[in-house]
Parts: sequence; structure tokens; C-alpha cells
Amino acid sequence: MTMPKALSESPFVNPPSCARIKSVEQKISQIQKEYLEKIQQAKSLKGMDEIFLELFGKKGEITSLPKEFPKLSEDERRRVGPLFNSAKQDLEKAIEGRRNEVREQSYKKLETEKFVLQPERLQAKKRQGHLHPLTQLLQETIEVFSKLGFQQFDAPHIDSEYYNFEVLNIPEGHPARDLWDTLYLDPHNLRTQPGRMLLRSHTSNSQIRAMKELGTPLRIMNIGRCFRYEAVDARHEHTLEQFEIIYVDKGVSMANLQYLSEYFLKAILGQDIKARLRPKYYPFVEPGAGVDGLCLFCKGKGCKVCGFQGWLELAGAGMIHPTVLKNGGIDPNDYSGIAWGFGAERMAMLKYGIEDIRLFKSGDLRFLEKF
Amino acid sequence: MKVSINWLKELVDLKVPMEEVIRLLPLRTIGTKEVTKNFIELDMKGYNRADLLSMRGVAYEIAAITNSKVTFEEPKPENFTWVGKDLPAGRQDLPETPVKVENTTLSPLYCIAKINGLKVETSSKERVKKLADSGIRAVNNIADITNLVMLEYGQPSHAFDAAAIRDETLIVRTAKEGETFVTLDGKTRKLLSSDLLITDPEKAVGLAGVMGGKNSEVTEKTTEILLEVAIFDPKTIRKTATRLALPSEASTRFQHGLSRIRALQALNALIKMYQGLGGKLKSLSIVDNLEEKVKRVTLTQNKTNSLIGIEIKPEEIENYLKKLKFNLALQGQALRAWDVTVPYFRLDINIEEDLIEEVARMYGYEKIPAKPLQGEIPEKINQSLFDLIYNLKTKLVELGFTEVQTYSFYSSKTINDLRLTINDLIKIVNPISSETEYMRDMIWPNLLEKAAENLKYFKEVVIFEIGKVYQAKPKLNEEYRLSMLLANDSGDPTPELYRIAQEALKHLQGEKMQLHLGGEKPRENKYFHPTRFAALEKDGEQVGWIAEIHPRIANKFGIEKRVAVLEIKL
Repeated sequence: MTMPKALSESPFVNPPSCARIKSVEQKISQIQKEYLEKIQQAKSLKGMDEIFLELFGKKGEITSLPKEFPKLSEDERRRVGPLFNSAKQDLEKAIEGRRNEVREQSYKKLETEKFVLQPERLQAKKRQGHLHPLTQLLQETIEVFSKLGFQQFDAPHIDSEYYNFEVLNIPEGHPARDLWDTLYLDPHNLRTQPGRMLLRSHTSNSQIRAMKELGTPLRIMNIGRCFRYEAVDARHEHTLEQFEIIYVDKGVSMANLQYLSEYFLKAILGQDIKARLRPKYYPFVEPGAGVDGLCLFCKGKGCKVCGFQGWLELAGAGMIHPTVLKNGGIDPNDYSGIAWGFGAERMAMLKYGIEDIRLFKSGDLRFLEKF
Repeated sequence: MKVSINWLKELVDLKVPMEEVIRLLPLRTIGTKEVTKNFIELDMKGYNRADLLSMRGVAYEIAAITNSKVTFEEPKPENFTWVGKDLPAGRQDLPETPVKVENTTLSPLYCIAKINGLKVETSSKERVKKLADSGIRAVNNIADITNLVMLEYGQPSHAFDAAAIRDETLIVRTAKEGETFVTLDGKTRKLLSSDLLITDPEKAVGLAGVMGGKNSEVTEKTTEILLEVAIFDPKTIRKTATRLALPSEASTRFQHGLSRIRALQALNALIKMYQGLGGKLKSLSIVDNLEEKVKRVTLTQNKTNSLIGIEIKPEEIENYLKKLKFNLALQGQALRAWDVTVPYFRLDINIEEDLIEEVARMYGYEKIPAKPLQGEIPEKINQSLFDLIYNLKTKLVELGFTEVQTYSFYSSKTINDLRLTINDLIKIVNPISSETEYMRDMIWPNLLEKAAENLKYFKEVVIFEIGKVYQAKPKLNEEYRLSMLLANDSGDPTPELYRIAQEALKHLQGEKMQLHLGGEKPRENKYFHPTRFAALEKDGEQVGWIAEIHPRIANKFGIEKRVAVLEIKL
């Protein structure tokens, strides 16, 4: 507890006065004694609140005390200060302690409270609920791709290095692993097969499972939570929702990739949004592509949001690497495929004009009720 | 990789303005992180283009995408400064430096050149500027040369103070478990048997590919150096650099992979530059166990066109690849297939699809037209879980509940306030903070936390979440759950919550999700009101519960209102 600032900086020098300090000391101990008793006798939380206000409110006894300090000399203040602080702490503690006692007593009464789960008369209140913005965006996306025959496929959040990395052509020790800062599980209380377990860093952990389980032709969507070792700020999150499609058939090409990118961006961000592919490296695709959308704020002229590029990077994609197809039991001589995905948070931020990524998981109704 | 613009202009006779280079790089090659008047920073994170970690590689690439020519020639091995003195084998006018490579797998190429007659000074202004534009701070003329050559050729090197090396003898070996070593930054590092060390006959002097030793660094008194140019096993370097959190320009290059041709070119360039400072090459050892073959990959016109999805003429394919320094030999006119020889510096090219990407990007990804999907729609697969989740969400919203999404972790406050048994929870071994250390095995505690925050602004809180929970026992498991929370001033919110949940579930999935009250007490009852709780059953099996949260718990979270919660497995 530090002394109020005004006190130590007081320009006034007061003559020492035995009487004055005695009266302040007495006052402190008097308040302390009187209120400790009051606190012990209080029976309700409401009573406790009143006592709290009497002591610590704007004009409360404790709050007002330091106003008398400037009259004291520096030496006297040095004596009174600790006394004041300890009285204040004692009272605070007593209130908290008594509150808990009062609470515990009230908890005992809970045993007598009735439990009628289906009362005959129950007023059901009318309220307006709200769907989370990410659910809205993802559902729109699901509907867009459902029209092309894509279906949902689920994969676990907790997974092995095998499915998350190895079968996707990302061997241990490969510099590409730097692309995903991964959270690993403590094997201590897990009874699992050997191999390190992790929180999936992307929805691509579904790829091999879907290929093996469903075969060709394949059109699936995998949607859901992914995790990264990432410090959280307005633009970074450790928990992210991803959307990914896997499309395998005969004769699938980069021209189809361009089609899917355009089809999606126009449906979600507006008919005037163009899509542009450019080279990008992901170890599980070859050729790999970054998917840019014409900046929806400046329509290509260049602005702050797109860093004056005219384009925004919106998705990552590519032609599924032949090694990955082979790992999924598909012959890359007969089939080719597309993997295409985006981060839902970033897309929703652009679409709905949300500026802070932390809002999605904040649970803040002031934010959620806007949607 | 920060590409110095002035340096680039020295290496490429550009046929286009710099603005065009800046525009084309992301469209043809790689994204750029930052562009200033002095440098272009390439976004190399996770990338496989080892060649772009050298100015010469960048020069070849930019020449190819801008139809320009590089200004330099590939140095010929027969012109290397030491040739005729001792190499090729035969004449041994130049003595060998004593070198012993104990593990040739982890160190397939190891060269040591002894150079004397040096004087430590600051480098010329031009060199300091070149380094600065490339994001590297100048140190002294000896160290600066190693960095300049690394930037130009992509090959790291290290200069030991010869006076600090016992018997001027260097040994490459793996560390002993628990062996310690003081790196250049003065820190003592504890080593594992997987780390690769450079030692002299009595002590370690360098952590191979990662950092030199304090005991053998070049000081102002140094006049004689042992210059190391090597290729180490990329995985070994990566492991050590990652574990000791010692990322560096050099170790990045070792990790991406190096080639013998460039390594020897770099050695030659280094020696010449030290000679330029008045140094003299006194001895040289090249321990070469590197198996490196010229890579040949077959490319067919058919596959190229079918994977890109357009018709590209054979002449064009040839033209694109030749610009990128690939050599092509037609296998047979009818097949339209080529034997493609990969330039030594393109370590990333191994299969036909790699070559197709080269063709596609030279053609221009952005020019590939859109083509609708063809082929049959796959068979229907079971979508009932996804349908259930979405229908449930919309129904709950209709009934006045707002969807929240919370983390898959418990906050440290939740763990403390609920006195959760952390030994039962799935634990993250490398959490970002204590807030991401334990995974949730119930959703409602997170809803309670959010309710407390919202009650500062709202009189009632009516929320739900559908998401996964994660269990360690009895065996590793994750499952979807619905959790709902209603907090208000009614004094008894549980019946209303129950009514709404029944209503929401009633119409979904026919009777499948119809819930019944169960007789059994729910497991989590230490958190519940002593009388107000009930188990929920589906088809005679307990799938969840509804309860009023014990006011003691709610109070701990700072909630003074009564709170009803439901949690069921979906």
C-alpha cells in the first residue's frame, strides 16, 4: 500500500504537535475497533456492502483519513502511515472473510431450495440470439462448395506427427516445418501409440484419411479448429478456424484451381472480386499457389489494407503432390488433385470489417450481437 | 533474404526497370516481405528455394523472369587459385593442413585453407554498405569477407584464429553427451551426441554450422587464419540450431542444402579476397566424400499441359526452362518428352511436377484461365453430424441464444477456481503461456468465465457453444459437445434452460436427440447446486446433465446471479 501522492509532496511544513498525532492515531484504532465489531455482526451480503461503502466509499471513514495527514510532520506521518495501512488491510480482510462466512451460511440454505425442472407455468422469454460470425462465414462457404458436390469430412484436432506432417511430404528436419509452429502434447498421461502427438496445425491432416477412406473421385471439405504456437495480438491467434477442400479426379488442373478460387471469392466477397494465382511453396502441393483476391477496399487501385498492392493474399492452394497422392493410395499417373484452403478469421475480418482477431474467441456479447 | 538492389544491378544487366522486377518477383518467383530503396526482402520462411539464399541464385532467377542476362560467368574449376599448386592430384607444392573428419556422413565436404599475412581492420565503405543493405552488420575485414561470400554464393564459411588452434589441426566429430562448449556469444552450451563439433587435438573450437567458439575467434591480433568451407548434414544442423535457439544466416543455408560446385567456387572467391588484403595461401585441405550427381528428370508435354490445364507449345516449354538454366534433350519427337538436366544450384527440383511448376510460373500463373470442374460428383457420405451441429446452432439462435466460441484450453484462473485435477487433463508440452497449457475436458467452465465478463455489461447472459472437448482418460478422446448457459435474476434459471434445450433438440434428427431425465446423479456434482441438477439421457444412455452451478463457484467467478448450465455429448 503506498501513501497517497499528495501527502508526500505536500509543500506545507507543519509544526510537530503531540495532540494532533494522538488524535489521528486514536481515530484510526477507533474506526478499526468499531468496524471490526460491525463486520462480525453483519448477517447479509447487503449489510456487508453497506459497511464496505461506509469505510471505503467516496466519503468513507478510511478514504477520508489521509486528508488529515498533511497537518502532521514528516516524522509523525512516518508513524501514522504504517498504522493506517495495517488498519485498512485488516478491515478489508475482515470484510472478505465475513463475506465468505455469510456466503457459506447462505449456501447451507441451498439444500432447502426446491427443484422443479418442468414447472406447469413457465414464462419463456423472447430473446434475439446471434450466430457467431465465423459460423456464418463458414456456412456460406459450405453452401457454395456443396453446389459443386463437395461434402464435409472430419479429422481429429489431436493428431500424430505422421498425419499432420510426415504423410504430407513434410519430413522431420525439413525447413518447411518452420511454416507451422506447432503445439505438442505431453505424453505423460496419454496412453498412445509411439510417435509425438500434437494439436493439428492445419486441416490438411484430413487429406490422407479422406483419400484412403473415400477413394476417387474425391470432393471433400474439412473445416475446423487448428492450433499454432503463436503469441496473441490484434492480428495473431494461436487458435484458428480453417477451411480446406480436397479435390481429386482425372485431369484436374491448375485451370480448375483458378476456377475454384474465382468461384469462391465472387460468391463470398462479391461478384466484382477477381482471383489471381501466384507461385507459393507448400510441401504437400506441386505446383503450389497463393490465391490473391482483388483488394475489396480499393478494387485494385492500392490502399492501406492491401499495402498498396491492389491485391490481398486470401488463400493457399496447389496441385496435390504426387507423394501425398501415393500416401493416400491414389496413383498419381492416373489422377491429379487440388488442395485449397483459407483461414476463416482473416476472411471474416475482411468481409465484415473486423479489426481485432481476438474478438472471435472473446465471447464478448457486445461484439457478437452485431452479427 | 535481403537482396541488395545495388549488388543485384552489378550481377544482372537488367532489361527492365527495378519497379518491374519488384512487380514480377511475387508473380513469378516468391513473395516479398519488404521493399525499400536499398533492398528487396524475399519471404523465405519455410521455402525450399536454397538457390535464392545467394545473390548469384537470385541473379539467375531475376535474369530469367525479366529476359535479362547475368554479368558473371560460372568460375571454371581449372582456374581456381590453388590449381597448379596441388590440385588436381599429383603435384603437392602446397602442403595440406592437418584435418581429420571422423564422421564423413555428417560432414561430406570439409575444406580448410591456411592464410597468413593478414591484418585486422575495418572493411572498405563499399563492403560495409553491401553488407548493411543485405541486413548484416560489418565486424572487421576478415569476418566481413566470409559474410560477403556467403551472400554472393550462398556458402557459409568460418575463420578460426590459427594461433588458437593447437597444432593447427582440426577434427570434425560428434559431441560427447553432456560435453560443454562456450560459443562466440560467451554462453556455455550443453551438447548432445547428435551435435557436430569442430575441435583441435585438445578442445572444441566450433559448433559445426551453427556458431564458432569464443576460444578461437578472430581478434585484432590475428594475422593467420584457418578458413573453413564445409557442407554439413542439414538435419543435424537444424536440430542443433533449433534446440539451442541459435538461428543464423549461416545455419539457415546449411539447413537448406549446399552444393560442391558452389562450395569450391566460394572457397576460391574467399582466398582471392584474402589475397586482396595481402594474405597468402599457405596450405589447403579438401576432404571430399560428397556424393553429388547431376540430376536428370523426364518432362512430358502431355503431363505439363494436363496439369496446368492449357496448351503450351513445346518451343515455349523449352524456352522457359532454358532461361532458368535447365538443359533439355528431346527424347523423341513423337512423345514430346525431354531429358531435363537440372542446374546444380536448384536443389529443390527432383520430379516432373517440380519442372511443371517452373513452366507454369514462367508462363504466368495469373494468365491461366478458369476451367469449370468436370467428372462425376462423388457418392454421398454421411453428413448427419455436421447437419445436426448447424441445425442445432440455428435453432438455438432462433430461441434466443447467442453462439460463443472459446478456446480449447482452460485458463489458469478456471483451473484454480474450479480446483481442476490437472493430472487428468491433456497437457501441452510447449505452451505459449499458462493460458494454453491444459486442454478443456468440459465446455461449461469456459462459458461461465465468459458469462462473468459479460455480466459487467448485461443483466442476463444467454449463450451456447458447440465444440470439442479433449480427454486423456480412460484413453485419448475428443468429442463434440453442446454447452448452454443461462444467467439471470430469476433466482432459478434452470427450468427455463431445460425448456429451451428440449425445444431446440425436439425437432432435430427426429426423435434421435430426444433427451430424457436420468435417474443417476451426474458425475460433476461438486460444481452443482445441492438439489438442482439432473442427468440427461438419450436412448437410455447418459449423454450429459443440466444443473444450476453452485453459487459458491459462480461467486468465485465474480457472478452474483444464479447460473444454469447444460452440457451434452453430440
